[in-house]
Amino acid sequence: MAILECKGLSKSYGPVKALDGVSFTVGSGRIVGLLGPNGSGKTTLIKLANGLLTPSSGELLINGQRPGVETKKVVSYLPERSCLPEWMSAWQLMDFYGDFYQDFDRSAAEAMLTRLSIDPRARLKHLSKGNREKVQLIMVMARKAQIYLLDEPIGGVDPAARDFILSTIISNYNPTASVVISTHLIADVERVLDDVIFISQGKVVLAAPADQLREQQGKSVDQIFREVFRC
Amino acid sequence: MLGKVLKHELRATSHTMLPLIGGMLLVALMGNVCVRLGNGRDLPAAVSLIITLVMVLFFVGIFAIGFVTVYMMVRRFRDNLLRDEGYIMHTLPVSVHAQIWSKVLVSALWYALTAVTIAAAAVLLTFGADTVKIIGDLFKTLYDVFTQGDGHIAEILVEFLAVLVLASLALSLSFDAALSVGHAFAKHKMAASVAVFIGFVVLEEILLATLGNLSMDTLENVGRLEPMDLIGGWRAYCAWTAGMILLEGGLSYAVTAYFLKRRLNLE
Repeated sequence: MAILECKGLSKSYGPVKALDGVSFTVGSGRIVGLLGPNGSGKTTLIKLANGLLTPSSGELLINGQRPGVETKKVVSYLPERSCLPEWMSAWQLMDFYGDFYQDFDRSAAEAMLTRLSIDPRARLKHLSKGNREKVQLIMVMARKAQIYLLDEPIGGVDPAARDFILSTIISNYNPTASVVISTHLIADVERVLDDVIFISQGKVVLAAPADQLREQQGKSVDQIFREVFRC
Repeated sequence: MLGKVLKHELRATSHTMLPLIGGMLLVALMGNVCVRLGNGRDLPAAVSLIITLVMVLFFVGIFAIGFVTVYMMVRRFRDNLLRDEGYIMHTLPVSVHAQIWSKVLVSALWYALTAVTIAAAAVLLTFGADTVKIIGDLFKTLYDVFTQGDGHIAEILVEFLAVLVLASLALSLSFDAALSVGHAFAKHKMAASVAVFIGFVVLEEILLATLGNLSMDTLENVGRLEPMDLIGGWRAYCAWTAGMILLEGGLSYAVTAYFLKRRLNLE
């Protein structure tokens, strides 16, 4: 059964069409790359899946349901920017996530914080920007969710941090769950992807398993991306 | 889930409101010391200056704390639901209604605590050997007044307080509604929120005047507009005011819920 399903999904901001008749499905246990240049509609799609926006037309379903209170119980979302209240400590954040999400694994979160030598009692405003982003990723990945929606998780971070982020995603996600990673930095994520969806100007231009694509075209996904989106 | 949202809302607002309330009470305590020090004594200029500054701080604080509390609550709604933190709050498995109620109820609690703080600060400033006796006499007098005249004075006070609580809830909702609409705009969100709030106030006045005239006409037409005694007039006034506040609050709530649910525009 598809965990995420889009049927003719469109979203307009006034006269601007951010998404235009997008249709695809994401099955369980897959790591999917939602790949496209800046402004292609990736963030809009992820916001729609989180119920932060409502579609102009078409439908988006998670576990067969429209985004709402029930779907939010099974979706773990990493926004593209750091959004955690800075007056809180990681300790308070774990209380917060533990209260609202039954699938939050506090011991996993504590282990990840310890591995990164982040003091859980320190307020976020006293942490570096990089560490704040890592704390946010830890809160998201410490959930045993059915689908993880990660919006630009490696955007704007150094290569070492990218490795940490990708290894955290791979080693912590629930294997029966799906992961959707939105990014335009293909080379860094290519090795972890099962499926790729290329999105351009609000439309899906290519959707296929990553291995099949590489075999058929004899090129890496990164090379295909550069050809598809050549300026 | 409302209980959990309320718990975290209280925790989040406490870290700004408790120091504010504590600071006000501390200034009142310092004011009390100053009053005792300066009472009929000839003090050095520097000490007199400090006493004056403390007293000025006290009176400015008493007038400012109410505005600061309202500002804090408005800012909390904006920052928590309409800015970056909104990405966390709106993806919790919590209904929009629970989000709104948590903000409104916690705001009302802090408004009430601010009112109590102002009263407590006034008592602290003047606290002396006779204060306990004065407060005791005051409560005795109040009790005597409330138990006279068929309990009408107690009723008036209770109804007045109920209307005040309703009004503070409705005011919170008006601010929330204006912010929710204003932040649906692409740019100049705060300016748009202020403009929307002014628009709401104008609409509210028009609605009040229209409904007031309609009610009077209807009562006249059915021949029910009769002279009332004082308590009857008060009850009718309270019922009318409460009805209008509930209408205003209900409309603001509906607008806020619609915009948070359907027209959310987080950057």
